[in-house]
Amino acid sequence: MLKNRYVVPVLFLLFFIWSIICTGFSIRDLIEGVPNLSNFLGCMFPPAWDAFVPLISPAIETIQMAFLGTVFAVALSVPVALLAANNITPSKHVKVFARSIIAFTRTVPDIVFALIFVSAVGLGPVPGILALAIHSVGMLGKLYAEAIEEVDPGPVEAVEAVGAGKLQAVYYAVLPQVTPSFVASTLYRFDINVRSSIVLGLVGAGGIGFELIMAMRLFRYHEMLTILIIIFIVVMLSEWASNSIRAHIIGEEVLK
Amino acid sequence: MLTVDHLRKRLPDGKLLLRDINFSVGEGEFVAILGLSGTGKTILLRCINRLTTPDGGEIVLTDNGSSLNITESNAGEIREVRRRIGMIFQGFNLVKRRSVIENVLIGKLGRISVVRSLMRRFEDGDVEMAHRALSRVGILDLADRRAGTLSGGEQQRVAIARSIVQDPCLLLADEPVANLDPTTAEVVMNHLRSISVDNGISALAVLHQPELARKYATRVLGVRDGVIVYDGDARLSDDDFELIYGGNNA
Ligand SMILES: Nc1ncnc2c1ncn2[C@@H]1O[C@H](COP(=O)(O)OP(=O)(O)OP(=O)(O)O)[C@@H](O)[C@H]1O
Ligand SMILES: [Mg+2]
Repeated sequence: MLKNRYVVPVLFLLFFIWSIICTGFSIRDLIEGVPNLSNFLGCMFPPAWDAFVPLISPAIETIQMAFLGTVFAVALSVPVALLAANNITPSKHVKVFARSIIAFTRTVPDIVFALIFVSAVGLGPVPGILALAIHSVGMLGKLYAEAIEEVDPGPVEAVEAVGAGKLQAVYYAVLPQVTPSFVASTLYRFDINVRSSIVLGLVGAGGIGFELIMAMRLFRYHEMLTILIIIFIVVMLSEWASNSIRAHIIGEEVLK
Repeated sequence: MLTVDHLRKRLPDGKLLLRDINFSVGEGEFVAILGLSGTGKTILLRCINRLTTPDGGEIVLTDNGSSLNITESNAGEIREVRRRIGMIFQGFNLVKRRSVIENVLIGKLGRISVVRSLMRRFEDGDVEMAHRALSRVGILDLADRRAGTLSGGEQQRVAIARSIVQDPCLLLADEPVANLDPTTAEVVMNHLRSISVDNGISALAVLHQPELARKYATRVLGVRDGVIVYDGDARLSDDDFELIYGGNNA
């Protein structure tokens, strides 16, 4: 008993020390780096305000990438989730297949998809949109399927009991029950995709992230700071937008 | 007309719940099923519209001279059978986030194509029929309310309107008044009785109150230990009552 209690903390400590040694993490390097860091930050000030207006259009492109990526992800995720849900799937084999799609798209990071698509279709927002759409299926498909499995089976049976088919039962009895949870998951994923689409820009998939990596490579530090400010605004705006949509929908639920 | 012949049904654990069920329901009859809790009344109804698959025996539905063998139906035939059998569930089973009128129109889904139903394109005649059904059960003013906001009695009447729109030849009702107060229960039973009489629909209703059976049913079936132990007049004698509900197992 006494021994068992120490196993986890000791393993934790050993792995911690091992990791510190192998990665060469040192506080001294960190402290010595501070002057460099402040030097770097100093170079960025003040932000290049004249670059602000031309950067608005890539910023909008970033939001559009996230938006289209999410919309396409929803279109892909709903059928996959229906096939993956225990209570709706037509057969066990189909279920396993659908769940494999979900597991695969979730496991492969969106940046890997983006790199593949950039080499396939070239630089620009399109590979970013495709990467977001496919990687998001991993999360949305899983959350949607869980919501579908939790529906009240009664109304579904009632629709089937009048002689309607499976598709009609899904449309009339399942979808109405899962709409609130689908909307919440989708908005949450949209927030994530806005941030991801910035990162995907760094590997050439368009938007404000692409501008950031270009500014960095060309040593335009003032412009970089402007871009960081714009990124901050973009993230705040999109979170505000999805929060108000959420509040609007939940408010409606409570009222009715 | 419905004929049930040597029906058997096992539970997943292997227990033979319905051993040998034999009865028939004639045109326009209103038959009440009585029996102790857990005897398999709900499962019996579910065998009849094939929400459950029986393990043996035969169920035949005769409608307008054509006979449908329910126990031997394939998937397509099961849908045809279900179109002709209305079902009122104990828990109403409405789609709570949809309006009352949309719930009533669900009764038509068995008869319109998938494409039409996905576009929600009901015919004008269908919508009019749904309105008539709602006014028949006295809740036309609730047509545009969300079904989830209705009281239990109102929801049960929406479920009845759904079955009226379906226009079946047989109506199954599983404890249709179990969750309702005595007055509302009478209202709902009156509606069931009147659509059975007026539309010439046979009805098979699981009830838990012998007084309601006496008042509304034309005949009573008593289920016990997997067989029909009573099949006869809706006025039960003390002996009949004992046979169906009594303490010492017959
Ligand atoms: N899916 C199932 N798996 C296992 N057992 C089941 C299943 N469905 C029903 N049963 C069992 O079968 C028996 C009969 O169930 P049923 O619902 O038909 O009873 P009932 O006569 O309608 O009872 P009540 O009057 O309480 O509604 C019960 O003991 C129930 O636990
Ligand atoms: Mg029951």
